[in-house]
Amino acid sequence: MSAVLAASHAADVLPASSQNAHVLLASSQNVAGFGNQPLWIVLIKVLGVFVFLVVMTLFAIVFERKVVGRMQNRIGPNRVGPWGTLQSLADGMKLAFKEEVIPLLADKPVYFLAPILSAVPAFLAFSVIPFGPEVSIFGHRTPLQLTDLPVGVLVVFACSSLGVYGVVLSGWASGSTYPLLGSLRAAAQMISYEVAMGLSMVAVFLFSGTMSTSGIVAAQQHTWYVIPLFVSFAIYAISVVGETNRAPFDLAEAESELVGGFHTEYSSFKFAMFFLAEYINMVTVSALATTLFLGGWHAPWGVHAIWSGANSGWFPVIWFVVKIVAIIFVFVWLRGTLPRLRYDQFMHLGWKVLIPINLVWILAVTTIHVLRDRGWPAWKATAIPLALVLLLVVVPALMMLEGAAARRAADRDDEDEADARLTPTFPTPPMDLVVPSPKRLTTASVHPPTSAIAEGEDPDG
Amino acid sequence: MLAPYLPIVLLFGLAFAFAFFSVAIAPFTGPRRYNKAKLEFYECGIEPTPQPQGPNRFPIKYFLTAMLFIVFDIEIIFLYPYAVANKALGLFGLVEIVIFIVTVFVAYAYVWRRGGLDWD
Amino acid sequence: MSAVISTAGELTNGQVPLGEAVAFWILGPVSLAGAIGMVLLRNAVHSALSLVATMMSLGMFYLIEQGPFLGLVQIIVYTGAIMILFLFVLMLIGRDASDSIVETLRGQRWAASLFGIGFALLVALSVGRAFKGSKPVNLNSATTNANGQNVNSIAALLFTKYLFAFELTSALLIIAAVGAMVLAHLERETPKRTQKEIARERIRSGRPQPLPGPGVLSSHDAIGTPALLPDGSIAPESVMASTPGVRELPALDNPDNIR
Repeated sequence: MSAVLAASHAADVLPASSQNAHVLLASSQNVAGFGNQPLWIVLIKVLGVFVFLVVMTLFAIVFERKVVGRMQNRIGPNRVGPWGTLQSLADGMKLAFKEEVIPLLADKPVYFLAPILSAVPAFLAFSVIPFGPEVSIFGHRTPLQLTDLPVGVLVVFACSSLGVYGVVLSGWASGSTYPLLGSLRAAAQMISYEVAMGLSMVAVFLFSGTMSTSGIVAAQQHTWYVIPLFVSFAIYAISVVGETNRAPFDLAEAESELVGGFHTEYSSFKFAMFFLAEYINMVTVSALATTLFLGGWHAPWGVHAIWSGANSGWFPVIWFVVKIVAIIFVFVWLRGTLPRLRYDQFMHLGWKVLIPINLVWILAVTTIHVLRDRGWPAWKATAIPLALVLLLVVVPALMMLEGAAARRAADRDDEDEADARLTPTFPTPPMDLVVPSPKRLTTASVHPPTSAIAEGEDPDG
Repeated sequence: MLAPYLPIVLLFGLAFAFAFFSVAIAPFTGPRRYNKAKLEFYECGIEPTPQPQGPNRFPIKYFLTAMLFIVFDIEIIFLYPYAVANKALGLFGLVEIVIFIVTVFVAYAYVWRRGGLDWD
Repeated sequence: MSAVISTAGELTNGQVPLGEAVAFWILGPVSLAGAIGMVLLRNAVHSALSLVATMMSLGMFYLIEQGPFLGLVQIIVYTGAIMILFLFVLMLIGRDASDSIVETLRGQRWAASLFGIGFALLVALSVGRAFKGSKPVNLNSATTNANGQNVNSIAALLFTKYLFAFELTSALLIIAAVGAMVLAHLERETPKRTQKEIARERIRSGRPQPLPGPGVLSSHDAIGTPALLPDGSIAPESVMASTPGVRELPALDNPDNIR
């Protein structure tokens, strides 16, 4: 147990009584509190996570349609249920009673497997997300989290890398051209942005000293990591949009070129599985963003100061869900605002912008962290790495950018000169064309004064 | 010892059962109206063009992307334990990891310079 | 059930806790079946998928053996990254690529089976000898690995004792990147044309508008049917020169026929 205390800050926030309880239970556990849960509690939690994800999916679909509708001066769905809230449920039920069309050329076993491979990892990723602190369920104290491992965040990472299989295999198994192209694009896109996502989490582990999700949340009791690690947060936020194939990075299902992307040939419930997986993934990355950067289930600043009970009992679930919904709102906002990127621009952003910035940022943060650990004063520990980054990275990068811009400007001038000398091949009016003054077209001559008509003169004779 | 994994296994069971049931039940709940044209693959209404067979169907570019992804994935995997244990490793660990990142960065710079990151 | 799994007692010689035994007897056959399927299945993607099953089971084995970091890294790197690369390659060689069953070398099958069995025996013997007399240790109760310290223990070893191997890995990664570039990268001889350049060229070419489409829907259903211009003359640009059946086109040098 003492090892746990030293390793993570988890124990700092646990009340003394529960620490004692943990010592009693801690015969063979990996992370405090998840060793000996009774089976019935585990079953309740499993069911809870499952229901939460399905409900969040139904909610997110309606929410997205409503919000996008408002952003486009429409009302959005408003027919099914109060204010249209049951629209997604009705759509889901409807899908079950639709005919399933399987293309003749499809590879049947893989075609069946792909939707399952898409949906299952999406559910599993949520198993390590903490919903709240320790609560009492029917008199049994237990953390509001399905389970935790010392490498909890890696579970989410592994699930997101397994999700690529559903995409690749569905496109391949359909035996059709557009889905195959869409799936290849989607897979290349997901793995490219997974790199940026993985790198952006390094700084969080550096600060928290643990990879367990509950430990990371506990370490953010005072400061949310979004403040010291804003660069990591920004990169994480950008890369998960690419990772979940959402607008403006939804090139895999670019309607104008690839129809529906990898799931074009899927219908009925199989299609519903892909839809479910997409929205669950969106909820999962939002929950992980909350956990890693936004303080997890901790109440926002100010709330805790006014009301001391905000961080105990079942209330943290409210903050957790509110944060997730806020992030989903941003997802929807992006979709309502930004046009889709071109594929080469998208890959350029992922490989040439996010990754180098990320690596330099990690180096700087690590250096600052280690120097401060060694007892350097804060300003010195921060200033020296920053100066190094400025000197070795930012200045050369700026010089290179400026050089490229100057070259481009010179090229443009050359081109413009060449253009000026060129005789136009397309019929264009001569440069010295004199436009005759349009005397005949004055209003007076075209429309005779109304008085003239009133006098009975028929203009047509 | 395996207790922390038990909930994951149970959730896997539930999710798998749900997904499998949904996928398996679909042919029975929906109608079936045979139509030969429906079973062709979808190409916006025109007669589907037969898919080209054999190699060279996809840009080899994707292979390069996947390979670079592996390189960076492994780098990330090495960075994680360092990040977790960096307190204990101190200045020596910092020097190590800087050397490691810079070395991998050389590969990255090489690929960039040769145009491997340009997507046409 | 969880109580049974977690309190199954200390790992003693020859006695395996129930949870581990159950997991082993489920995952063992799965990984074996995956490996066999990988060899026997004809379709290349199917056999890659079998290999995924094996890799996943191996990852779970590491989890059972109290190596959570190693287990998840196995899943992330092997099933997540390397297998995706594998699938990409399979897609590059064509969708329906499958093994040929024609024996190109005479007696190859027999020789291969013989060598295979021999190699399996060799491995089994050497692994068996290596483990003979070794005592199983409960990693979870060992001081270095207990209570979620697994990652820290790995870091402590990796960045001190195995420092050289760790730094060599980065060199290996460079080799991988360079190798991929050499194999898969096609060097551009001229810089890529930007959208702006393409647009300029199009305007300068004298024909900014697209070529007329073939007259398929207007008179005939053959793709070689040229389109008619408003004055009734035909547009020779509307059919590709290589299209069969364009021979009956009027001579292109007659100015009356060309607009």
